[in-house]
Amino acid sequence: MHFVTGGAFNGKRARVKETYPDAVWLSAYRGDSFAKINPADFRNFTIIFEGLEAWVKELIAEKDPDDIRALFRDFFSRWQAWEKADNRRKVVVIGTDIHKGIVPVEGELRAWRDITGWVYQDLVKKCEQVDLIWYGICQTIKGE
Amino acid sequence: MEGGSLIFITGGVRSGKSSFAERFATETAAKTNSRLNYIATGVPFDKEMEKRIDKHRQDRSKGPIQWITREQPVNIRELASSFNNQDVILLDCVTTLVNNELFSLGENVTEDEAAAIYKRIFSGIAAIRKNCRQLVLVSNEVLQEPCSEDQLLFIYRKLLGSLHREIVRIADEAYLVEAGVPILMKTGQGQEPSMSKTAVDEREIRCGRDRSQGK
Repeated sequence: MHFVTGGAFNGKRARVKETYPDAVWLSAYRGDSFAKINPADFRNFTIIFEGLEAWVKELIAEKDPDDIRALFRDFFSRWQAWEKADNRRKVVVIGTDIHKGIVPVEGELRAWRDITGWVYQDLVKKCEQVDLIWYGICQTIKGE
Repeated sequence: MEGGSLIFITGGVRSGKSSFAERFATETAAKTNSRLNYIATGVPFDKEMEKRIDKHRQDRSKGPIQWITREQPVNIRELASSFNNQDVILLDCVTTLVNNELFSLGENVTEDEAAAIYKRIFSGIAAIRKNCRQLVLVSNEVLQEPCSEDQLLFIYRKLLGSLHREIVRIADEAYLVEAGVPILMKTGQGQEPSMSKTAVDEREIRCGRDRSQGK
């Protein structure tokens, strides 16, 4: 699995499009659900999950932080297993860095920021490559 | 792109990006025997900001070369014709410029208006760069915060991110300053970072020496 992160509007999507031109995209920004496709039914070789932070945000109001983490850990595990079954397969996750400002006054923004950070850490443990995009410049911070 | 070199320097609040940028520009001006220009974009709207601007001004006046300060909160392109290849120019900062241009339009800014601002700022940068020895641009890292779904904020962040990306794309060098330490993110046209700290260290040493000589 490959995780691509960086600040908002820093060129993450453009970078992933360039690296994986033939991928299928599921995007939180377009209202797609991350569970829309079951790994078992997926026939392409590359899948991109865009907007991990936005999917986390959708769950904040309804679930406990631990449940959200567990849910995403399970989600990552299923796609990791799918990927490992065939070496042509690739899972790419894009998540915006929302972690460097001052502590938000609103509780919901605070919870969102915290849980997203934990989910990213869980994901990175499973990834063989992690890239940080800074205004179009890519730094590989894990792997390769 | 023809003209002078373009240097992009960004960082968080109080990261030391402005003083690094000032040392950088001063060093180039000293080396090339150029005039040293400062484009101030900040319009003071309270006492605290007036003080802060004054502190920056005093800091600059301590350097080995005197700065020529120009206040230009909007339409930076207007300044382009007053420079030539004997000018080193520091613009501090792009974020304030975007604020001034955007928030003068009020609360209901459309994507089209934002696109027009993007063009105006970017063409201003290109025009100034064409008429100078070196243009140093300072900006802020503000795109890593959790944001509520506010249309104006969305437009603002998109505009700033697009500008930064485009500036980095055409820049000769780009630096991210963390706690006073400049990290070289891009060197040479179109090159990816090699993360060679040497270039930064060397420049730091040179800048540091130049500054101590000026005192």
